[in-house]
Amino acid sequence: MALRVPVNLRKNLSVVLYAFQGLSILAVIVGLASLLLLPLDEYSRRTYISENALLPGQVHAYFGGSEQNIVRAFRREVDLLGNSTSDVVSERMAEIFRSAGLKVGKQRYSYKAAGGEYTGENVYAVLHAPRGDATEAIVLCAPWKNIDHLLNEGGVALTLALSRYFKRWSLWSKDIIFLISSDARAGPQAWVDAYHDLHGENIQSLSVKSGAIQGVVVVDYPGAYHRFESLHIIYDGINGQLPNLDLINTAVQISRDQMGLRTDLQEMWDHNDGYRHRLRTMLRGMVNQALGHSTGPHSSFIPYHIDAITLATHGDGGWHDEGSLGRTVESVFRSLNNLLEHFHQSFFFYLLMAPKRFVSIGTYLPSAMLLAVGLTLTAIRLWVDPRSRSGEVGEKVEEVKEKSEKGEKGKEGKAGEVVAVDVGPKRELFLPMSIVIGVHFCGVIPFAVFNSVDYKSMSSAFYIFIAASVILPTLISILITLTASPHRLLPAFHLSRCFSLLFLGMFLSTLATLNFSLSFLIGLFSLPLTFARTTPKSVPLALLNSILLQVTSPFAALFIIAGYWGLGVEDILKEASFGWWVWRMWTPVVVWCVWWPAWVVGRISVDSSFVMAAMGKTG
Amino acid sequence: MDRKCLLAIGAGALIRLLLFTAFPSLPTTLAQRVEISTPVTSYKRLQEGIYLYTHGVSPYDGGVFHQAPLLLSLFSILPPSTIITNLLYVFADIFSAISLIRIASSGVPTVTPHHVSPRKANSWPPWAIAAAFLFNPFTIATCIARPTIVFTNTIILHSVAAAVNGRRGPAFVSMAMAAYLSLYPVLLLPPLLFLTYDSLKTTSKPSIQAFSAITTIMLSIVLMIYFKLSHLITGSWEFIASTYGVHLLLPDLTPNVGLWWYFFIEMFDSFRAFFLCLFQLHLLIYVPSVCLRLRKQPLFALITLIGISSIFKSYPAIGDTGLYLSLLMLYNHTFSLMRYTFFLAAAILYATFLGPAFYYLWVYAGSGNANFFYAITLVWSISNALIVADAIYAVLRDEHETERPELIGKDVVQI
Repeated sequence: MALRVPVNLRKNLSVVLYAFQGLSILAVIVGLASLLLLPLDEYSRRTYISENALLPGQVHAYFGGSEQNIVRAFRREVDLLGNSTSDVVSERMAEIFRSAGLKVGKQRYSYKAAGGEYTGENVYAVLHAPRGDATEAIVLCAPWKNIDHLLNEGGVALTLALSRYFKRWSLWSKDIIFLISSDARAGPQAWVDAYHDLHGENIQSLSVKSGAIQGVVVVDYPGAYHRFESLHIIYDGINGQLPNLDLINTAVQISRDQMGLRTDLQEMWDHNDGYRHRLRTMLRGMVNQALGHSTGPHSSFIPYHIDAITLATHGDGGWHDEGSLGRTVESVFRSLNNLLEHFHQSFFFYLLMAPKRFVSIGTYLPSAMLLAVGLTLTAIRLWVDPRSRSGEVGEKVEEVKEKSEKGEKGKEGKAGEVVAVDVGPKRELFLPMSIVIGVHFCGVIPFAVFNSVDYKSMSSAFYIFIAASVILPTLISILITLTASPHRLLPAFHLSRCFSLLFLGMFLSTLATLNFSLSFLIGLFSLPLTFARTTPKSVPLALLNSILLQVTSPFAALFIIAGYWGLGVEDILKEASFGWWVWRMWTPVVVWCVWWPAWVVGRISVDSSFVMAAMGKTG
Repeated sequence: MDRKCLLAIGAGALIRLLLFTAFPSLPTTLAQRVEISTPVTSYKRLQEGIYLYTHGVSPYDGGVFHQAPLLLSLFSILPPSTIITNLLYVFADIFSAISLIRIASSGVPTVTPHHVSPRKANSWPPWAIAAAFLFNPFTIATCIARPTIVFTNTIILHSVAAAVNGRRGPAFVSMAMAAYLSLYPVLLLPPLLFLTYDSLKTTSKPSIQAFSAITTIMLSIVLMIYFKLSHLITGSWEFIASTYGVHLLLPDLTPNVGLWWYFFIEMFDSFRAFFLCLFQLHLLIYVPSVCLRLRKQPLFALITLIGISSIFKSYPAIGDTGLYLSLLMLYNHTFSLMRYTFFLAAAILYATFLGPAFYYLWVYAGSGNANFFYAITLVWSISNALIVADAIYAVLRDEHETERPELIGKDVVQI
């Protein structure tokens, strides 16, 4: 009897339609609500060290005393080189590494993006492990200029001092690579690409290499003050990938419990572990993850499945100095040195909401998936809806019935004769399919334009593009309204919405597994697409929908992001272009080839209401 | 062939040539996808085999190459230029499209000697069938990645096109070739036999028993000629174990879209032989049942078996599904009777996108594991199996309604 239910529901379509509508609204509400519940104690968990081999904070860290004087000496050295060219800097750095008895390599690189050229020279030194076989390595990295383009005096000085200090220990079982990258964005990327032989033309190969990199710690300690208040742990990678949670936990545990250093996440400097602060930390993490950009030199390592974090100092009034930071780095390196195999135990998908509080993928994924499911359910509802079929539905069904009755009568007379079947109103798939696929292909245009335009013409290109995408949907709907026959119009717009939402739901659920936050945010912005429909008989409603769509367009999102950082839109676009060419950041692809087309199709269905109302084809 | 057919073929060829020339790295990228290339069809492995063969080493040494020897001789005759190889694959797809046009224009999908579909007016014109094949993303991706399954598919389609026109010689010679190339088309012989028999144009038909006996003997002779030729080419019988042995015994557990690899990775060795027999026999049991139940429409029985083997064979790829879906378009007139079209299309789409994403998480990002990808291959297989089942339902319902027209539009109740 299992089949009876769906077959009967087919006749009572309105029940199904209401059920689907209710379900999709429910999915969206539950998805949103469950995200807001996450910071509560009941839904999040305390972090814990999952890999036993790490033993964080179990060893005494000896860095300090006279080493501190060496750091200060190197700090002076760095300060003197502050305004020199990268040639001079790299030569001097190489000299220092060589004098410590390490193998040194240099690497020039040059990237072109958004009309600008990004060049520099990385210097690195390899400390061969006294107890290892050069199959594994850990990296200590300090960018010459940090992500805010400040001279990373303390970080570089500490790295130089630690290279001498680590050399004296005989306990290392993994090679240690000391990397001074010439900036925080392109340099580490060039280096890690070349380390894996995947670098482009304008990037030199590495002359010295070691084994597989197991972990990376970046020290970001800018400024002339050497006192700091707290340690800011930055962990977001390119494309929203994250390092293994064990690495973060190790760093947090060592700095808090062993060194008594306060740790901060996501620039939340006065975290009180309350609900609101947890939620803000989580949301800030999600925004960084969604943008998929580099938040520090560590970001470039993460796509290579290398777990990396940046330890940045914050504040100048505290009582910690290079000694505490040096001991923290030493202790983290002792833990990394203990690793028996690559980080694999703990989580790769998580949202941190306080240094010691997280939710794992199993808890948070449903909320993004529910948004995507909401879109898919709406797509299914639109498909089942009789309005997706062309022609007068009610009459046609009767016709079928009549014919079949005639068939019965006919059968009595002439047995075995073939009866022609009228299959009733059909869905016209060609027009909506070509609208949706065509618009999706158009997404390549903004993507290509914004990745090839110069920084100077970026903003004018952007405003031209906004104008074009405001006009384009209206033009398409006018074109379709003019050419297609009136009774096919509404079903065509109806089905194009259905396909577009189906695609969007599918893309977003796929994306949720790769970059949860991006998927969630796009899903949130796309919610109006689920109810923005063609309403030729009610122009005010269409107007409302149209305004709503404008507010939640990809452009509006760009403006919001630009406002959030206090930057111009052209800076964001430049960052996106830089991200695409240097980091292989996929966010622009997702925005222009997934989100923008879905939005355009939504606009087409809404705009067609005005067009149809104006032409009197209210169908 | 009318102008629309030519237009479809031209556009299909153009899009392939464009993809080949505009993205020179695309073929290599796609050829590395496990969803497209399998150990028994991979172009990369073929090149390895050709290299060994042209350097006088047995191509089957080293256990990388598992493809038929005649392919080796074909590719070693060709000049070693990528353009010519690419053109060969484009021509193979064009040839497949022409075969599909011939099948569609023969009218066999709607009218057989035992059955005339009441919906025959709704069937798609030949050019649309060709376009559905040529613009199917699965077919395009397969053509660009250049696995040798493209040739198997072309030959199967050619064989079916010959069969619906009642030309049994070409039909069976090419089906023997398809079976020789990739073993599993041997399952298509019984429906092909019925199909050819039904379409015979001679006035005095032999009895079905005599007909099948003659064709089976003919087929065995052709196969033996192929084997002997292969023996002459490679100089040993080693190829049998390295090609059919691999299909049957599954020594290479590289992931693919099928159901076997994960199962046999997880399995204890002592059960391996038993489950190998079971999995292979499982494929076999569909043949008699499908052929008997769909005796009135042997073409559909053949298509169904292609669909079933594309799910359950040892090394399936999306090229197999592409072939099945393109052939299914011949039965477009019964689609209105299918119950889950939208859901199944959505499920296939979801699997198509989630599969590579999960494979990436497993293999490259390292943040997922094999279960991720396997879960998606399950979804893929289930949706394909449901398409097969739903298509069978639609065609049987269509048959049923010719017998009992009073049931048109009535509900079906499962008892």
